[in-house]
Amino acid sequence: MGISRIGHASLRVMDMAAAVRHYEKVLGMKKTMEDKHGNVYLKCWDEWDKYSLVLTPADQAGMNHVAYKVENDADLDDLQKKIEAYGIRTTVLPEGTMPSIGRMLQFNLPSGHEMRLYAMKEYVGTEVGSTNPDPWPDNITGAGAHWLDHCLLMCELNPEAGVNKVAENTQFLQQVLDFFLTEQVLVGPEGNIQAATWLARTTTPHDIAFVGGPRMGLHHIAYFLDSWHDILKSADVMAKTKTKIDVAPTRHGITRGETIYFFDPSGNRNETFAGLGYLAQRDRPVTTWTEDQLGSGIFYHTGEMVSSFTDVYT
Amino acid sequence: MLFDTHPKVSVHVTQTNETYLCANNESLLRGMLRLGRKGIPAGCVNGGCGVCKVHVLAGQCQALGPISRAHVSAAEEAHGFTLACRVAPLTPVQLEVIGKFEKPFCKGFAAKTAP
Repeated sequence: MGISRIGHASLRVMDMAAAVRHYEKVLGMKKTMEDKHGNVYLKCWDEWDKYSLVLTPADQAGMNHVAYKVENDADLDDLQKKIEAYGIRTTVLPEGTMPSIGRMLQFNLPSGHEMRLYAMKEYVGTEVGSTNPDPWPDNITGAGAHWLDHCLLMCELNPEAGVNKVAENTQFLQQVLDFFLTEQVLVGPEGNIQAATWLARTTTPHDIAFVGGPRMGLHHIAYFLDSWHDILKSADVMAKTKTKIDVAPTRHGITRGETIYFFDPSGNRNETFAGLGYLAQRDRPVTTWTEDQLGSGIFYHTGEMVSSFTDVYT
Repeated sequence: MLFDTHPKVSVHVTQTNETYLCANNESLLRGMLRLGRKGIPAGCVNGGCGVCKVHVLAGQCQALGPISRAHVSAAEEAHGFTLACRVAPLTPVQLEVIGKFEKPFCKGFAAKTAP
């Protein structure tokens, strides 16, 4: 019941041909559809629904919306009541608003980011099928990402003005959408300002994350890879394709994820993320990172913050 | 730079009176990074994040790709504002760093020149 997992992200791109080339050649996704407005839909080889990424032509970069899939259609009605009761307005977008997807429940998180929930998306199957499947298909390109894993959204944080959209989003996701908190960063003289949070609905350390910044935006969307060696290979792919690497392969203290960050041709940040880190459970104690150890939380090996990592986003 | 024979033009930064050489097929930002000091923010280098905003006061540039309208409006672009990662100089250029770029840029310069 309720939200099952992340479904897709819709991103704005300034050069569609370059964007499609990036998501196909670097991530290894496949274009599954293009609509009459010029929006392009793609999926990873290990995903079974028709798309997990929508690219829309625009004159600026950033995220249009992020969508999560719920288990049953009735969950949409149930969640609509709960979200409205919490004081957030919702809209039901009828089937046909976007191709190959059922009705969507649309609303904005307290941070302003648009979220959509849906129960049905056209099933097309994975590249290896579901009967006696091989562990991987022969037509993998680039990094060969398995699936869209999570997104990290930048939320306005200005403690002096009493603004903390990280905390507001976190409370909303916990109380209304029934996510559970896996990790958090607490800062400030009292150590009580929730400056970043990681939340899950599945057993992965995060299905969504929020980090405080001067303005709302998209920090990154992340794709799942199996292993540390796959992260190395994806860095090789980026070198071959002259893709701008933001942070070379390393490990996060937070989530224990093995990672590499890079940019798509419009400057939207991507991550390839390997290892499950740990099995997230509702009764697992919440991990807290303090302000003085935040560098190690983010980049475990160097323990040092990279300013572009926190200041640069779309 | 050794083995680099590509013709270059000079780029002058008003605020710090620094000059660097930049080829006409590389971005103003790439050339600027060779100043090799702190305070030059390389972000997405793809025209999306807006951290490398500059005002070209003199000289001609060519576009290397689209720039985000969230950071540079069409009216601004018409008056020489752009993102340094997305333009290459065709002639000698004079520029100012703008917005989020300016403070770290000048601070980095001060740190380098401090006794």
